[in-house]
Amino acid sequence: MSEFLHQLTLSQGALLSGVQVTIYISFLSIIIGTAIGLVIGLVLTYAPFLARLPFRIYVDAIRGTPVLVLILAAYYVPAVLGVSLDALSSGILALTGFCAAHMGEIFRGAFQSVEKGQTEAARAIGLTFPQTVRYVLLPQVIRSVLPTWVNTGAELVKGSTLLSAIGVGELVLRTQEIIGRNFMTMEFYLVAGLIFLLINLAIESFGKYLERRLTYA
Amino acid sequence: MTDTTSTALLEIDGLHKRFGDLEVLKGVDLNVAEGEVISIIGSSGSGKTTLLRCVNLLEEFQEGEIRLEGEAIGYREVNGVRKRLPDKDLSRQRSMTGMVFQSFNLFPHLTAAENIMLGLRKVRKLGKDEARAKAETWLGRVGLAERVDHHPGQLSGGQKQRVAIARALAMDPKLVLLDEITSALDPELVQEVLQTVKELAAEGATLMLVTHEMAFARDVSTRIVFMEQGLVAEQGPPEQIFGAPKHPRLAEFLGRSRT
Repeated sequence: MSEFLHQLTLSQGALLSGVQVTIYISFLSIIIGTAIGLVIGLVLTYAPFLARLPFRIYVDAIRGTPVLVLILAAYYVPAVLGVSLDALSSGILALTGFCAAHMGEIFRGAFQSVEKGQTEAARAIGLTFPQTVRYVLLPQVIRSVLPTWVNTGAELVKGSTLLSAIGVGELVLRTQEIIGRNFMTMEFYLVAGLIFLLINLAIESFGKYLERRLTYA
Repeated sequence: MTDTTSTALLEIDGLHKRFGDLEVLKGVDLNVAEGEVISIIGSSGSGKTTLLRCVNLLEEFQEGEIRLEGEAIGYREVNGVRKRLPDKDLSRQRSMTGMVFQSFNLFPHLTAAENIMLGLRKVRKLGKDEARAKAETWLGRVGLAERVDHHPGQLSGGQKQRVAIARALAMDPKLVLLDEITSALDPELVQEVLQTVKELAAEGATLMLVTHEMAFARDVSTRIVFMEQGLVAEQGPPEQIFGAPKHPRLAEFLGRSRT
């Protein structure tokens, strides 16, 4: 036990940097991915068929591809095309694209589930379409999307572990390096697992907090 | 026929509306003068609601013209081609008419006051305090001064519909369209809504309503319009329409409505 604690102290810097990278990647991906997903959701719901088509194909293609394949593609394809992208950027690109596709589909469902009368009432008052989205639809959509959004956030944190495959120094890769030095396989994977659990519990309670704040009678 | 002078607030000429192959409006002509209260009656499928929705530009129409205060709404001709106006113009024109829906369509995330304030702030560009004051005044007028900060989920159906009426009227529309506004209400809540409409009519608001409440239509209207198969089949003052219907289908319709 004291040997474990000793090794833990030795490796805390590496663990901490791993946690930071994991959170950094997940945070950026979910923020940018959600913003793009909102646009995708709006297009899928309200745009005419031809404008919708490329977005539909994008969403279905991404959702039908394993995250690991997306990550490998984001890492190797740009290089083939002559664009140099470091592992971290590739990873963020892949996870953002993944998040955007999922959130796009989630937003589409949420926009479609708002009663048609809401849009009509907004138009009848004289609101333009952007105003209708901003003041009438979005406040309702955000509430219904929230639980799934939190879930997607947790998925991204877990998905970010796959970036170890392209050498991004996130928590899993750091843990593997630590284990490579001290051979305490069981102990340090447990530590990593515990950290992931804590991160996702934090995300979940943040979601619950938001949900409470946003409910209305 | 009522005298249709050039002072008409709303002029509908030869309005045709098709949903695919189904022609719902087959050339409707109707003029509404300021201060008139027009009840549109007729069996379901006669095109009453579609007509109102065309006036508020919630539906596109294929032929004919609707003019509000002389301005053609919804479309313009560019080099002889009829084109739908851009969203911005449609929004401005829609804000000239108010619409109250059968299913209320209040915004559930906003309080009663905020429902009314939204249009005042974003369309009429009033300041927050001014909009709030106006919302409170209107909620007072429909008897809901106590419910200003309630959300729609905390209101009864009749109260919701009265908020919806206040929301439409607070925008100072030239014309208010009321689409079967009591049809979704429990019977005991119908009267409070009809009473509110009656008060508005007495104050001189120009109203166009689609209704199945015949006694109410007779009581409140200056003119009754009977629609049948996408056309105005007969129109006139309530005494004439209810007392001496000329169109055979109207007589039949009224006979059925009484039972």
